[in-house]
Amino acid sequence: MALEDLAFRLNDYEDAEGTTFDALVTEDGILEVVCSNNDEFPIHITETQTQILSVTPLFNTSEVAAGKADELNEAFLRLSPAVPLSAIGLQGDTYILFGAMALSTRFEVIAHELEVQAENAIDVLEAVEHLLA
Amino acid sequence: MGVLRDMFTALKGGANEVGEAIVDANAIRILEQEIRDAENAIASAKQSLTRMKSTEIKLKRELSTLNADIGDYERKAVAALEGGEEGLATEVAGRIAELESDREEKSSEQAALDVEIGKIHQMIKARERTIQKNKRDLDKVRTVQELQRATASVSKNFAATGSSAHRVSKALERVKAKQTDWQDRMQAGEWLEGKEAGDDLDAKLRAKGIGGSAGGGANDVLARLKARQGG
Repeated sequence: MALEDLAFRLNDYEDAEGTTFDALVTEDGILEVVCSNNDEFPIHITETQTQILSVTPLFNTSEVAAGKADELNEAFLRLSPAVPLSAIGLQGDTYILFGAMALSTRFEVIAHELEVQAENAIDVLEAVEHLLA
Repeated sequence: MGVLRDMFTALKGGANEVGEAIVDANAIRILEQEIRDAENAIASAKQSLTRMKSTEIKLKRELSTLNADIGDYERKAVAALEGGEEGLATEVAGRIAELESDREEKSSEQAALDVEIGKIHQMIKARERTIQKNKRDLDKVRTVQELQRATASVSKNFAATGSSAHRVSKALERVKAKQTDWQDRMQAGEWLEGKEAGDDLDAKLRAKGIGGSAGGGANDVLARLKARQGG
């Protein structure tokens, strides 16, 4: 599904849990999605030849409390298995939560995965909030 | 080999900006070139296979004709011997020997061909593995490139909001406040629905013993029926 089509359908969709989506394709060709269950941390979606990638940037390394970086990294390594469908990573100096789906994934499944990722972002941030400045 | 190791080195070295090479551009070109080479090799191997297959079919046909001819001459030689035609039988035997040597030649030709075909199949599989491995490697590179692109557009936003102190905590607070608000509204909605349906009033009436005593339903009905019967 092209990102424009995905945006169009997301804007018109409400899932079983009542979550709605605001989706928009940016000038850079990235699909930005705000899920109603977490409108503070938008999900950025892009595609490769085989996958749909969904990225929630969490925070910058500069936002980590002084001297807490190692503790934070270990916390993320330990948390990662608890959110098996969303991986935690470091992209440049931005901590991200991200997921990957096959290009052939059904729309309803994509919407559900985005909702879960939006929720996982809150859970993960709550777990490490005390390590941030 | 080891595209992940290359990427890790580049990423650790600070190739974080979009457009910066996370692996040597040459490495990508080499991977792509290897895929094209392998695909071309497979295409020409498949052409050779087709040619060999037609040779193999021809050989098989010739062998089965030879086998039939040999069988035929053997029967004729036996008949000649039985008829006491020793000279004729010797002549036929000579012909059989010729055919047999011909058959041997063709058989070994077929065996050699089988070996060649087997080698080509092996080669195709090996090239196929190269293609798949390289495609997976390229996909890894592209995935990281796309992740960088997707992350970059928001990282700029972090910078724009000045990465103010407790940005994440404040955002979390807002999200949670909204969720609580939403839950409150859900509960309010349920309460309102209940009220509109008259639950509240009925409950009040029941509490005062008005509108049917609790658990007395069956007794009431029975009393009513008895009264009807009596009247």
